[in-house]
Amino acid sequence: MEKATVVIIGGGATGLGILRDLSMRGVKALLIEKKDLINGASSRYHGLLHSGGRYAVKDKEAARECIIENQILCKIGKGCVEPCGGMFTRLDIDDPAYEELWIKGCADSGIEATPITLDEAFKLEPRLSRKHVKSAYLVPDAAIDGFRMAWQLIDSSRRYGGRFKTYTEVIGFDTVNGELRGVKVRNQFTGETYEIGCDIVVNAAGGWAGFIGKLAGVEIGVQPDKGTLIAFNQRIVNHVVNRLHKSSDGDIFVPHGSITILGTSSMSIPDPEDTSTSRAEVENLLKIGEQTFENLRDFRILRAFAGSRPLYIPPGGASGRGASRGFAIIDHERDGLKGFFTIVGGKFTTFRLMAEKICDQICAKLNVTEKCRTAEEPIVPEVSQADKERARKFFPSYGTELAATRLGVERFKRVVERLESDVESRELICECENVTRAEVEEICKEDTIFNIDDVRRRTRIGMGTCQGNFCSFRATAVFADMGGNSMAKDSLVRLREFLQGRWKGIRPVLLGRTLRESEMTRSIYELSMNVTGGEPQ
Amino acid sequence: MNDMTKAIFTGDRCLSCTSCMASCPVMAAIKDYRGPKLVAPAHGRLHFSQADIETTLEFCSNCKTCDRACPSGVAVSTLNMLQRAEYYKTHKHTRAEEMLAHNERMANLIRKIPFGATFANIGVNIGKTLNVFDKLGIAGERNMPTYAATPFKNLFRRIKQSTSGKKIVLFTGCYINDNEPQVGEAFVKVMNANGYEVLIDENFNCCGSPLVSMGFLDEARAHAGNNVARILDWKKKNIPVVTPCTSCSLMLKAEYHELFGEDVMYEAAQNVYDAFEFLELLQERGEFNDNLKPLNQKFLYHVPCHLKSQAIGLPAVNILEEISGVKVQTADADCCGIAGNYGFRKDKYEISMKIGKKLFERVKQKDFDKVISDCGTCRIQIHHGTDIKPCHPIEILAEAY
Repeated sequence: MEKATVVIIGGGATGLGILRDLSMRGVKALLIEKKDLINGASSRYHGLLHSGGRYAVKDKEAARECIIENQILCKIGKGCVEPCGGMFTRLDIDDPAYEELWIKGCADSGIEATPITLDEAFKLEPRLSRKHVKSAYLVPDAAIDGFRMAWQLIDSSRRYGGRFKTYTEVIGFDTVNGELRGVKVRNQFTGETYEIGCDIVVNAAGGWAGFIGKLAGVEIGVQPDKGTLIAFNQRIVNHVVNRLHKSSDGDIFVPHGSITILGTSSMSIPDPEDTSTSRAEVENLLKIGEQTFENLRDFRILRAFAGSRPLYIPPGGASGRGASRGFAIIDHERDGLKGFFTIVGGKFTTFRLMAEKICDQICAKLNVTEKCRTAEEPIVPEVSQADKERARKFFPSYGTELAATRLGVERFKRVVERLESDVESRELICECENVTRAEVEEICKEDTIFNIDDVRRRTRIGMGTCQGNFCSFRATAVFADMGGNSMAKDSLVRLREFLQGRWKGIRPVLLGRTLRESEMTRSIYELSMNVTGGEPQ
Repeated sequence: MNDMTKAIFTGDRCLSCTSCMASCPVMAAIKDYRGPKLVAPAHGRLHFSQADIETTLEFCSNCKTCDRACPSGVAVSTLNMLQRAEYYKTHKHTRAEEMLAHNERMANLIRKIPFGATFANIGVNIGKTLNVFDKLGIAGERNMPTYAATPFKNLFRRIKQSTSGKKIVLFTGCYINDNEPQVGEAFVKVMNANGYEVLIDENFNCCGSPLVSMGFLDEARAHAGNNVARILDWKKKNIPVVTPCTSCSLMLKAEYHELFGEDVMYEAAQNVYDAFEFLELLQERGEFNDNLKPLNQKFLYHVPCHLKSQAIGLPAVNILEEISGVKVQTADADCCGIAGNYGFRKDKYEISMKIGKKLFERVKQKDFDKVISDCGTCRIQIHHGTDIKPCHPIEILAEAY
């Protein structure tokens, strides 16, 4: 039987943070994820590395955690954090009294909030509403790419012996006399079921933590809280732009790589699998967003998407925006199940701290005395300037830096070698996000890639302007050619499911240029290739 | 104007459909060019990631075929030219680029020397024989345009016009002023025949087209600032500005406000007309003088790219066919390849000639009496590629009055 000391359930930021932390402390850990990594709230969010400014009035504890973790991640996560800075802007319709509370809150929480003149604000963010913006502050917000971070955490964990299995679902637990012995899992593709022996299980399933609890026979108060977001085709903003008012819907814009993400909403839902979005939700976000950016509707929307915050509701606690963004660690020994832990709540920004706290508890149980080192050591080494210089000769322009942080040192080296030796591998599979065939080939060969969406999360193919119009068939062909598993050969199915995945986010925003774009996609695939796109997701 | 309707923001409209690449004459001639959509709309989204340049942008000739092909109204070529100017902020121009972009400065210099034009022409011929141009980076295969002994400005002073309440200002353009003043004379004759008195504004600068395509954007902006102020001055007096040069008219009408985004540029554009566009307007109003001598000739008309980009149809065909006996056939052979000063560059000469091949072959069929084209450099290219010397359609019309 396969064995690990600790099995972590959930391949989101929290689970991955725990895997890295435990592996660095020498604990044999294995992470189980029922889909691909980072498929839940850890990628279905703003991509905002909070300065804490958002919580400075309501929750100073969370604000303090944020600013500390923000500084740590800016230091250890150079490959996934873009230190773009943030701006808080109060509009004419916002309460000036809140501004005073906020300034004090930031000062109390150790968040540097620098007031700037409106002229400076408009210079830094030319698209801000001249009419509505009344005051502005700079804060150390940053943007963080969940996809890059996930794989960098994996690369780091692997260096210390950490293991993981994707598309592997937990179906039950093996307990003897109230003591956990193992986890029963099922391979999502083959249907094969087997058991993994372990001493400790960490339930880090986010919105699904309640279901995992049920499988283990314990009650966990998790309320999936859906947030809908809009991705725009361009960087509308240079900084993270927050509304300076009591936290509400649609009041944050994040420059996320080549795009801008506006969000979010807050809606309690029964099922964390529900990542649907609607035209009404999009309209609501736009209505609020255009208060800060008057010309917002002139910017092309790429798609809408949604994820569920796993809000922890202690018995009798509030839900929705009233619920704490803090996190909770539950040792279910109190419920009579020894060796079973749940970590729930929290925010992406504080995932490392959450991991540190629970790993401290686990290590105490395991009599491991190694201290946490995740705050000091960079997640992954940086690609050297020399390697990047060499690469620039072969990469498309504006392609080297982004590819370097997507791929990491080793993969980047291999991709550069391929680009150097095989001229044709320099062609672009994805023209919008500048992804070369060499990079797609490198990723397709990995044994964790089962479909084109997996390739997308690693490379950003299909995530730019044309949303898969031209890269879908190209990537499918490369995957069929290079993919290591039998699913790769079933290229028509792969193509259809990928297209449907793209269209899912486009349907609620089918208007204007987005409509024109998807009509072109439809005609290319349906009329030219007789690929209708399969079943809607 | 809403900011978002300005050309510099049109990259957001790109559907990535590839029409621009499919129609780009440069891409058809040379594989090295990554193509219009990649350079501007796609890379524009990625500029945040690193300081970089797209080196193959040098291949863009600014012929503007991509703009016309784009179904979404992206000002692709303008975005390319803005990017090219960015490149030259950190890179030096070559001597050939300096020379080719500053045709106006060069001509003014020569005009200051007694018999300067004659000496310059001799010098150019000697230079060509000695391979000097080739060494500078200018295509040695080409004849440089010869300077006219007397520039149009000076000829104009000798033209006797009767005064008229109806006036237009001729924006002569460098090529007509310095190299083909007979086109300017023909223009004056035509306008006089239509009851218009032609004025000249000696304070106009070169439109800036050669500067833009060589990446001298700051200088072009200075030219634009001066020219736009002049045009608006004439606009206040209700006097339109008309030019027989299609690259000049495109610059004044569209490229200024596309490149620099100022509302006054858009306003000035409303007072600028292509010569035949203006004549067509007169025709629509029933004011065109159709008292024309018959002319039993067949013309092959090469439509300049920069006329196509103005989206005003083919007014020259419409007007010339007013002349009894005239037949105009369009060459229908795409871009001639020279694109202003592009084809004069040594490193672009071959591309330029490859693009022009289709047109050359069409012209060489010689099933017509004369080749006509409104664009000075198109005429240079056709002459160079076929040994058949074309003329401006306004010269034909002038003959008929």
